[in-house]
Amino acid sequence: MPQAVVAEHAAGLPVLTAKELIEFIQLFSSTLLGAGGQTTRVDRTACRIARAYDFEVELAIFPKHLMLSVIKPAAGGIPAERRTAVSSIVSGAPNFQRVAALNALSWAIADEKLSLEEARQRFNAICAVPTLNPVLLRFLVSCANAAFCGLFNGDITAMGLVFCATLLGFYLRQKLLHWGLDIKVTFFLCAFAASLLASLGIILHLGATPQTAMAASVLFLIPGIPLINAMLDILDGHVLMGVSRLIQASTLIICIALGLATTMLLMGVDSL
Amino acid sequence: MIILECLTDAGLAAVAAVGFAAISRPTKRIAVMAGLLAAFGHMSRFLLLQAHVGIASASLWAGLIISFCSMPIARKCHTPAEMFVFPALLPMIPGMFAYKAILATLQFLNTAGTPEGQKVLASFVYNGLTAFFIMCALAIGAILPLLLFHREAPLGRALQRFGGSNNTPL
Repeated sequence: MPQAVVAEHAAGLPVLTAKELIEFIQLFSSTLLGAGGQTTRVDRTACRIARAYDFEVELAIFPKHLMLSVIKPAAGGIPAERRTAVSSIVSGAPNFQRVAALNALSWAIADEKLSLEEARQRFNAICAVPTLNPVLLRFLVSCANAAFCGLFNGDITAMGLVFCATLLGFYLRQKLLHWGLDIKVTFFLCAFAASLLASLGIILHLGATPQTAMAASVLFLIPGIPLINAMLDILDGHVLMGVSRLIQASTLIICIALGLATTMLLMGVDSL
Repeated sequence: MIILECLTDAGLAAVAAVGFAAISRPTKRIAVMAGLLAAFGHMSRFLLLQAHVGIASASLWAGLIISFCSMPIARKCHTPAEMFVFPALLPMIPGMFAYKAILATLQFLNTAGTPEGQKVLASFVYNGLTAFFIMCALAIGAILPLLLFHREAPLGRALQRFGGSNNTPL
């Protein structure tokens, strides 16, 4: 046991080992990535936490896994301790509240010198914050998509149609994802259901812009945040991460288009 | 008349931004600020489009405005600037162009070799490229001010010296 560690033990101070720290940083980074944090931000945040405890961290991030080494620097260039871990990234929905809170936590660790135990408690508290009320969420998303239809010059009838279509589509999305159906199949079915409802406008000749209603009815499914994240990652030089996020988002957009195409085929709509 | 259209556009964009952001569980402050930023950004894009500026350049400009305005807000709220910028950009994501490009591809498979096929192919190229360029423009617009005025960037340091002790980390 090195001299300094023995001295700290004698003084009754808890000694932080790389083994404990790496568990925390590993969980922290994979949660932040799953919540839709940019790759650069994850990298910076992990370094910030490690430095607060006088450690260094090296991070390699892959689309589904991350590898990290926690190093205790020592005089002379040979590190006193080094631990490496590989962990899988739990992919989840983007969660702004979580990203913002985790970022704040990393600064609190750096500025207020929180102990690891306290940091872990705060981390658990952040992860335990519940999601928005599903009924309220459905209503908000429906309003948003109706407003979006308005931005594409849809008239009030079209906006009403889009509101109903989104209400149905988003309800389906919540239920199917809750039941654990694959996300791509879910997106296909939701796009199909939403556009089918909106296609009533074309069949019954409701309002002046039924085409707009049908085109806008599936837009609530577009994965906007992953798309922005992908472009920013590519610009930051994390090309692997960026391209993988871009391809994941594009896959979902293809599923949406296929759902819409099925409706068009069934209803005999030629163009939007 | 144009003022009324402008305000309608801003209002609709704000509602769209807040609603779409709700999926990603924002805090109340993020939602309100993102709504305001989206209204402002989308309104400026609308005005530029009225002045016959291309949609990609207009989006770049809107992204820049949103990102610039988000920086003081982020500093004040101690929240990363991206948290305000991302939801504000959501109403401008070229979702419709993207899936129209894919629909055109599907149609092209059935119409290849006919004059109709050429029209569909042109539609695919137009929609796909537009979606790609709008996406790039939004990303560049969002990140450029953050890069230029980051705490460690030369411009950011100069601004900090100029602004005194206003150095809350982002």
